[in-house]
Order: sequence, then structure tokens, then C-alpha cells
Amino acid sequence: MQLRTLMVQLAVMLVMPILVVGVINRTKAMWAGRRGPPLLQTLFDLKRLLHKQPVYSQTTTSIFKLGPLVLLASALVAALIAPITGAAGPVSFAFDFVAFASLWGLGRVFMMLAALDTGSAFEGMGASREATYAALLEPGLFMALGTLAGGAGHTSFAQLLDVAPRSAGEVLITALCVVCLLVVLQVEGARVPVDDPATHLELTMIHEVMVLDHSGVDLAVIQFASALKLMVCAALVATLINPFHGASASWLALGVNLGLTLAVAVLVGTSESLVARLRLRILPRYVLVALTSGFLALLVSAARYGSGAAP
Amino acid sequence: MTLISIAAACLLAGAVFALVLRSNVQRGLASVVSQAAATVCVLWVVIPVLGGAPELHASLNWSYPVETVAAHLDALGAFFLSWSLPMTLLGTIYALGYLRPHFSSRHAGVHFVLLNLTSLSFLTIYTVESAFVFLLGWEIAAVAAWLLVIWDHRNQKVRFAGFNYLVSTHVGLFILVAAFMTISSRTGSMDFQSFAPFLQTPGALRDVTFVLLMLSFALKSAFFPFHTWLPRAHSAAPAHVSALMSGVIHKAGLFGMLRFILLLGKPEPWMGWFLIVLGWLSALVGVLYTTAQRDLKRLLGYSSTENVGIAGVGFGMGCLGLSTDQPALVALGFTGGILHILNHAFFKCLLFYAAGAVYRSAHTVDLERLGGLARRMPWTSGFFLVGGLASSALPPFNGFVSELLLFSGLLGSSADAGMPRVMLVSAASVMAFVGGASALAMTRAYGMTFLGGPRDSSIHTEGEVGLAMRIPMLLHTLGVVVLGVWPASGLLLIGHAVGLFTGGAIPSQVTSALTSISGLGALLLLVFGGLVLLRLALTRGMTARQHVTWACGYTGVTPRMQYTSTSFSLQFGVMFDAVLVRLRRQQLPQEPFPRAQGHLHTHCVDAVERRLFEVMGEGDTLVARTAGQIPESTRVSFAAGLVVIVGLLALLLTGTG
Repeated sequence: MQLRTLMVQLAVMLVMPILVVGVINRTKAMWAGRRGPPLLQTLFDLKRLLHKQPVYSQTTTSIFKLGPLVLLASALVAALIAPITGAAGPVSFAFDFVAFASLWGLGRVFMMLAALDTGSAFEGMGASREATYAALLEPGLFMALGTLAGGAGHTSFAQLLDVAPRSAGEVLITALCVVCLLVVLQVEGARVPVDDPATHLELTMIHEVMVLDHSGVDLAVIQFASALKLMVCAALVATLINPFHGASASWLALGVNLGLTLAVAVLVGTSESLVARLRLRILPRYVLVALTSGFLALLVSAARYGSGAAP
Repeated sequence: MTLISIAAACLLAGAVFALVLRSNVQRGLASVVSQAAATVCVLWVVIPVLGGAPELHASLNWSYPVETVAAHLDALGAFFLSWSLPMTLLGTIYALGYLRPHFSSRHAGVHFVLLNLTSLSFLTIYTVESAFVFLLGWEIAAVAAWLLVIWDHRNQKVRFAGFNYLVSTHVGLFILVAAFMTISSRTGSMDFQSFAPFLQTPGALRDVTFVLLMLSFALKSAFFPFHTWLPRAHSAAPAHVSALMSGVIHKAGLFGMLRFILLLGKPEPWMGWFLIVLGWLSALVGVLYTTAQRDLKRLLGYSSTENVGIAGVGFGMGCLGLSTDQPALVALGFTGGILHILNHAFFKCLLFYAAGAVYRSAHTVDLERLGGLARRMPWTSGFFLVGGLASSALPPFNGFVSELLLFSGLLGSSADAGMPRVMLVSAASVMAFVGGASALAMTRAYGMTFLGGPRDSSIHTEGEVGLAMRIPMLLHTLGVVVLGVWPASGLLLIGHAVGLFTGGAIPSQVTSALTSISGLGALLLLVFGGLVLLRLALTRGMTARQHVTWACGYTGVTPRMQYTSTSFSLQFGVMFDAVLVRLRRQQLPQEPFPRAQGHLHTHCVDAVERRLFEVMGEGDTLVARTAGQIPESTRVSFAAGLVVIVGLLALLLTGTG
């Protein structure tokens, strides 16, 4: 991996999550008629949390302290794999998107274990919901990525997202994959209509309720890791629709990608302001939208290339 | 090959000593020593073959009914032998610790003899060429496993579970005998090598034989829908027997599949799809049942069905590649499938040993009653966590390696475009769902047993288990970690076995994928280590306070208020109601001031087993009832008449056409 690619990726990974969360909150505030918090509010929150003395429950074991660190480690390594700058990331190999999904799974399992460790009914509820929706989301993500992997030699994440839609069929496939990735963003990034990060009513939460007992350093780590996962999802959508992407890094592609990532953040903020959170009973159906759009993309791709035409 | 005979002799000698010696501990040690000697002999022979030495042939002179028994040790048999015997040895060491409370009241010699006989059956199954002696080894393994399962034979449920297993495995034996008889009637000999010309010429009889063979091996390895004996047997058997059955003995079915795919030469495409669909179904249904069980060992049994399904998908992929001449698909399919067998053996045995430790300590494996064992049993808790993470195919452990290889094959562009590609990508997304559901199941199993507080306050834990039980767990954990972080070590073991299918070389895709996994694992551990150091630096000088769980400020929390295993998987389980049948036994309090105590008991039963028992139990009354309606109801008699006429016409047409 080149040093420049690594440096650019690290810079994006450390700075953009804060900006993305800031932009989302600003957008929501503007829709609500307020001025809203500063764009760097997350950074101030993290600094504040690092100085706080943590409180640990007597029921918890070392899993409770290890959980946030595993979450952040897996989120960081997954972000190194993901092509968030409009070009290939520093860690890139064939079928690395499988490793990407598995790393997120590792982080998620440890968060659920940390939640169960507290011995509380609320955290257990969050863990149960999180496990259910994540299991339903995985096949959709793989369907979409598998469809994009149809071309010859397109096996690493960056190559997959390197589509230049030329015909109506390819535009349709890209659009369906964008829909799938947006649903992934809403589930993994804990956004309305799947989850509400703003209320602290436990009956409506999934991710927030899992971290009720974390405090101080642990909470700071979890908040940054969640922001990082949200940013990576938004950046994946941006890379998919970026017209200047390519295998080699260029400043134009990077700039457009960052702009598109913030545009996706504005879209997320807008949808959060305009759409209410779905009832938990019908959430599985919404999560299966990802699977359906992935499957449609697969069928369109098979219809296009099944006749033997070169992709 | 004489070393293999010496190994067999060691095992028999150990069996004799295990019966004859005075104390149970001495009998166990005799078994362990004889198995260790046999393992050393076998590894001496097997490791050169795995490293590329030429295959070994030998022939033993016997008397009637087989004049000579041909033995042939190739890389495939060598691979299976290389871990079957050491794992049986570790299981026997575990048994010394697990059965110790019973040593003062029972004669455990027969149990250790049976463990030796299991190892002996492996020597037979994986080396002989004669179908007759193969069946003999198969039968020894089945009967020994049955007798091992009914260790607790005073319990009627255990006896029934054992009997269920015995009948099921013999149904599989009959199908296998039918297949062998079909083939040997055409080839005139019972040697596997002589089966090859028959199996390599396409024809209707070859197709039927293939289906019979695969059904028999699927029943042995507990593929869906032939898995009905598995949950009862695993729940009833002692932990080390469940571990050995799941991890080692039932892999003989997968060995049979591989051996006969090798003999097939160039299979038809539908054979590959058949295996893929069989594996896909087993993985899906297995994982769904895993999420719903409340008995920890039953849960792990269903997880075995899921994992052999995943290996089956790999074999199907490899078959598909063989039939359509795609070497990449062959290599990835068989490497992934065979590696998954090894990985599964490692983490499944580990999980069962940990479940046995839980049982030994808390005297129950009911997830509804357990909780908070991590404080009293830190070693077991750590081992179970590693096993659970490996089972969910998460990096940096070994399950992830084989799943990545299988995904590479399924999602790669080597499949034909159109319907085959749609099927393979759909299979990949089903496998992704299986991975996600498996993460749910293992989080639930680990969380309910070891984290939080005890859900039944009457449970008394005796603390961490002894060294005899911890050492096998430690060795399996080391295997899981090494195979995950350095997957090339797994390739060292399976390289030549896979080479039998691919025609020699391991393609660069496989080796580069394994190198990437190593790098990723190292990077993950590095980043994690760095974060731990960073956290220690940030919190230096800051003392943490201890308090009760905050949980939004509710102060009257009791351990009974925690999420139970049923509630954890409820939202997931209700979506699959058609497959997950839940039995509910309840007597709920009725009046406003109830006098009697109510109770509610839920249990997830196996849908296939229930239907099977229904048909077997009531099937004859169903048929009799339907037949009795023919003279009475005109509708039924017309329908029966139509069926008979259509059947006769079909027979006439196919007979003459």
C-alpha cells in the first residue's frame, strides 16, 4: 500500500465522521427551524467524555471493557478496506468486502455481549433487536455486492464500486444498489426510520439502548466508532455514484467523493426530519427492502449479461 | 502400512487393559496411553503422505469371505486420519475429568474400550479399499457411538435417544449397502478402485447410485432433512461423546462424499447443484434451529447441521467446477469445503467441551436457568467465547478462512452468466444470512450462559473444572487461533488432498487469499493492541467507580428481569414460524386471586422429527381411514380411481415408449 493512500485514508477516517454527524444534526435542526449545534460538536463531546471518570457495574466482566475497543478496532480496519476516498483503500485484496462485512459483524457481536454483560433487561432488548436486524441485512448487502462483482476481474471492493453506467440497465443496477446501501446505512448507522439516535426512550431504541451503561472513555470510543461506520456507509454510496472514481487516487475524485458523502449526510438528515420511525413489527419488512433491491439488481444483471454479451 | 497395523494392535491392547485393570482411573489412563501410542504411529505414516510422499498401498491376506483386503492411504485419507485420532485422544483425556464423579460407582472400562474402538474404526474407514471392510468399519463406528451415547442408560430418555440414533444410522447403512451392491453387481468386485470405471461412465444407473450414496452419507453427517437423530443424541450423550460424534465420527460421511466424488471423475452438472441445494438447506434450517433451542448441547448439535451444510455447499461448488471444467471453482470449492471440515472439528469439539464443563459445574445446560458463569469459570468462558466467534465465521478465527474461500468461489465470475450465476449469488447471500443468524445464536448461547446474573437462583456453581477438562479445550483453542491467524498451516494439511481434485496444483487465488487473511488478522490484532495501550494511557490516574447497573435508573432490578434465551431470539424466531415449531405446555392462573400455582414451559421441537413420528405412529391409521372412505364417499372413490388410471397409463406409456 502506498504511503500517500494510507495517509489520505487515515485523514478522511479521522475527520469525516465528525463532519458527517455534524452535517446531519445541522440539517435536522434547519428543518426544525433552529440553528443547531456547531459542526464539530461531536469532537467537543468526545473530548468531554475522555475526561470523565467511568463507572462500572459490579455485574460486568472484562467483556464490558473490551467490547468498545473491539468495536473501534474492527471499524477502523474495515474503514481501511472500504474505498471511501473514491479510489482503492490501502488494504485491498480479492473479496475483501466479505472481510469488511465480517469485521462489522465482529464489532457488533462484542457490543451485544457488552450489553448482555450488564444483566439488565433494557440492554438485552437492544442486543436482541440488533442481532435480528443485522441477520436480515447481511443477505441484502451480499446480494448487491455479488451483483456488482459480476464483471470479469472485479473482485476487490474498490473494483466493485468502480461502475460507469453506460446503459439504462446499468443505471438501474446502480440505482438498486444505492437503495440497498442506503438501507444498510440506516440499519448500521442507527438512523430513522430504523432507529432513533436522538430520543432516549428505551422502547424506541436499538443502538442507544445497548450502550446505556457505558461511560467516560468507553462511551467516547463507541460514539466515534458509530460515527465512523455511518461515514463509511455514506462514503460507499458516494463512491458508487462518483463519476470521477478510478483505481488511481486523484484530488478531483477525492474532493467530489467528500462532497457526495456530505450530500448523502444531508439526505439522511432530511429523511430523518420528514419520516417517522417505523414500528418494530414492520421493521423486518423494511430491512428486507435491501434484500429485494439486491435481488432485483441481480436479476437485471443476469438478464443483461445472461445472453452472453460482455459486461 | 505396518505402522497402521501396529497402531490397531495398540488400540486393541489398550482396550483389553481398559477392561482388566482394577481402578477406573487406571483404565482411563490405559486407554489414553494406547491411543497416544496409536496416534504417534499413525502420524508417523500420515505426515509424509500429506507432505507429498507417494500414496501407500498394501494388501492383507484374510480368509473367507474377503480373500485379500486392499488398503490404500492417499492424501485424502491421510488428512482425515491426521486429526481424527488426536482429537479422539483429547476426548478421552477430557472423559477422564468429565466422568470422574461416576468413577466410584460405575465400571467405566467399557466406555474407554468403546473410545478405543472408535479410533480403530477410523483406521479402517480411512484406509481400506474393500467396500466390505469399509462397511465393517462404518458399523463399528455406529455401534460404538450408540453405546457411548447411552452412558447414562438408567434414564429412559437417554435410552430412547440412543435407540433413535441406532435406527437412523442403520437406515443409512442399508442405503449404503444398496448402493455398494448395485455397483459391485456391475463391476464384479468390492474394491473401490474397481468402482471407478463404472462410476465414470455416464448413465441412469450411475445417477441412481450417486443419489443413494449421497443420501446415505448425508444421513451419517446429519444434513437436513436426515438430521432428526442428531439433537436428541447430542443432548443425551456425555459432552465428550457429543464432541467426538459431531466433530470426528460424523465427518466419515463427508469423507465418503469426497471419496466418491473423486471416483466419479467428471460428474454431471446436476450432481453439483444437488449437493449445493442439500448443503444450502442444511445450513439454513440448521442455523434457524440453533437460534431457538434452550438446551445448550442441542443447540450445538443443530449448529453441526449448519456447518456440514456449509461444507456441502463447498463440495457442490467443486463438483460443478469439475463438470464444467472451471479449475478456479474446483480449487476454491474443495479447499473451502475440506478446510471447513477441519475448522469445524476444532471449534465444535471446543464448544462441546465447554458445554460439558458448564454441565459439570452447574449441573444443567438449560439456557433459561443459567447466567453469570463467567466470574466463577473464567477459563471455560474464554474458551467458549473463542469457539463461538469461530463458529460465526468472524475474523481473526478459523471459521472466517473457510467462509471467505467459499464466498470467493460463489461470487467470483467463473460461473456462467445467467441462471447459474443467479443461483450462486443467491447461495452466497443465504450463506451470509446463515453467518448473521449464527452470530445471533452464538451471542445468545454465550451471553445467556456466562454473562449477566443467574436466571434461576437455585443453581449452584462448583467453580472452574479440573485440568483434565481444560487441557483439551486449551489445545483446541490454540488450533482455532493458529488456523485463523496463519491459515497457510491449514493449507499444509489439506494441500495434497485438494490436489487430488484439482489435478495437482493449488491455484494462486487460494494462496493469495490465505496470505491476505493472515495480513488482515495481524492488522486487526495490531490495531486492537494499540487501542488497548491507548486506553490504558488515557485512563492512567483515573480510578473507576463501581456501582450497580444503571439501565436508565431503574433500581429494583433482579436477575429474573434479564432477557432470557427465548425472549432474545423471539423476534427472529416468529418470522420463521413455519420451520420452528414451538411446543407450549401451560397452566396459567385464571382468577383475579389465583390459588393454584401456574406454570409455562416452552420447547422448540424438530419439525421433521415430529412429522416423521406422526407418519410412523399414525400413518397406518391415516391410510386406513382414507381407504375406508373409498366405499362411502363418491368424491374420494373418484379421486382414487383417477389416480389408479393415471398411474396405469403412465406405466404403459413409459413401458412401451
